[in-house]
Amino acid sequence: MLITTESGISHLVEPCRLHRRVYTDPAIFELEMERIWGRAWIFIGHESQVPRPGDYFTTNINHRIPVVMVRDRDGLVRVLHNRCAHKGAKLVDKRSGNVRAFRCCYHGWTFGTDGKLLKIPNEKGYDGTGMDPKDPQWNLRPVAQHASYRGFVFATLDEKAPDLVTWLGGAAACFDNLCDRAPEGEVEVAGGVLRYDHACNWKMFLENLNDTHHPQTTHQSVVDAALDYISTLPPDAAKQREEAEIIPPFGGSYENFEKSGITGFAYGHHYDGGKTSIHSGYSVNPVYRDAMVNAYGEERTQEILSFNTHNTCYYPSLTIKTAIQNIRVVRPIAVDRCVVETWSFRLKGAPPGMLQRTLLYSRLINSVGSMVGPDDLEAYMRMQQGLQSPASEWVEMYREFGRDTDMGDRIVGTGTSDLDMRTQYRAWRHYMLGEVA
Amino acid sequence: MNTGDALLKQAEALLYREADCLDRADLPAWMELYSEDGTYWMPAAPEQEDPLNHISHFYDDRVMMEIRRRNFVHPRAASKDHTVRCSHLIGNIRITAEDAVAGSCTVHSNFHAMLYYREEKRLYGGRYEHVLKQGASGLLIQRKRVDLIDCDAAHKSLIIYL
Ligand code: FES
Ligand SMILES: [Fe+2]
Repeated sequence: MLITTESGISHLVEPCRLHRRVYTDPAIFELEMERIWGRAWIFIGHESQVPRPGDYFTTNINHRIPVVMVRDRDGLVRVLHNRCAHKGAKLVDKRSGNVRAFRCCYHGWTFGTDGKLLKIPNEKGYDGTGMDPKDPQWNLRPVAQHASYRGFVFATLDEKAPDLVTWLGGAAACFDNLCDRAPEGEVEVAGGVLRYDHACNWKMFLENLNDTHHPQTTHQSVVDAALDYISTLPPDAAKQREEAEIIPPFGGSYENFEKSGITGFAYGHHYDGGKTSIHSGYSVNPVYRDAMVNAYGEERTQEILSFNTHNTCYYPSLTIKTAIQNIRVVRPIAVDRCVVETWSFRLKGAPPGMLQRTLLYSRLINSVGSMVGPDDLEAYMRMQQGLQSPASEWVEMYREFGRDTDMGDRIVGTGTSDLDMRTQYRAWRHYMLGEVA
Repeated sequence: MNTGDALLKQAEALLYREADCLDRADLPAWMELYSEDGTYWMPAAPEQEDPLNHISHFYDDRVMMEIRRRNFVHPRAASKDHTVRCSHLIGNIRITAEDAVAGSCTVHSNFHAMLYYREEKRLYGGRYEHVLKQGASGLLIQRKRVDLIDCDAAHKSLIIYL
């Protein structure tokens, strides 16, 4: 089968089955970088990372293309290609910093924070050559589109991509909930970042997020270890520790996860939870609750805190935990490698204990040294290896198929449904083949 | 031998014993070297000031050590199906602060740790800071801080303390 033809690609994904090559074939990976990562809105960063004019933050838009998010002199946050307009050197190589202007390390071309070319050293060499330094083609190129939603900055390489709000659709409610959980209605990046090297295809990480059928198996060991230790303590002693709220729900029953439900949207976005999730049993910090009631009143506070999702995926680059206030940012590297970053957020107007809990969660669950993330990654690595086998060409995603409910702008199903997988592969086909999202 | 030399000798012996426990992945014996209020911290940023308001790779107190040592030998912890072997080298051990009255001191050292896991050899390196205090039968570790030289890089799963 020639996979690079359209009909070849269309045979790789059926309603309930995937061909193993979507995870293992380097040619498919390159096509995904072009068609999915080159067309979708990709999460770049948060406006709070560049609070002052001249502040910048660099990242890649896919496995390769370098971009810089910068706040210009007028206070506008832009996303520019991180490529000198002269001979193409990467202009900024630090992860973040502040500049008055971007000066290239090679021949000294200098650009404003809005991307405009300000200066070419020894410019007279161009006189009368037909090269006009005033021509905008010599400015830093902006990406095709960039936009932000409640401070979350996205960019796309596709001029024809729908606007960000349309693309987010009903899944935007999770950004709203994350920000509304701040008494001041805003969040900011805080407490540093974890970067986790994953020896697996990027889709395996995303597909695990709302795979509620794995924790009982994959995370049994950490739940057992925690419960075994707790059993040696006097009754109630564990109540003093936030870890005791965070770890045991990973061992929740299938019924519990079923109740939480899965909701899928266009473009591959989805979340699990809503009314309940593995986070809904957490106690609420009383100082925080008071600050919330002061800001929003009792009823609205209740409403905000009871919208309890587990993971929301903004396909393909971002997943957020509204109830925890951390996010994970995905960047593919190769067909069998990606990097997952964990960032934490401070709820503006909340007591410091809230950020500390977010960081505790990130450390306990998402760190390379945690007892949760490494067991997830172990499963992805084994899939990456197992799928080399020709024993079968197919991976299935039938669970609860035909029992999901179409609500128009969203499809809902039980929490252990493969609806999350089917939602992602509908988007995969949309980007790869131009089908309806 | 003056008292400073004697303290340094004791500190060195404790650091070597600790490294040996980790080389053998003997977490119960390793925990014995820590005081009841002992902590193990691996920051995720250079010069990180604080384990609570900034993310870390590890920040375990005794409670988390108790859970971790149980998890480490759990038959269903898939990431622990592969044996982990380690070899630590510690050098440049020096006492950088001392409280003679309390019998406690701060010890800095440099380390290289060769780790074998999942059919791959890895090299970790950086600086240790140990705060030691006098226990009933000799020095105990009250605080250990591990500053990896690449603490802010993307890392692979690290299933054991370094
Ligand atoms: S490549 Fe940047 S100035 Fe020449
Ligand atoms: Fe998991």
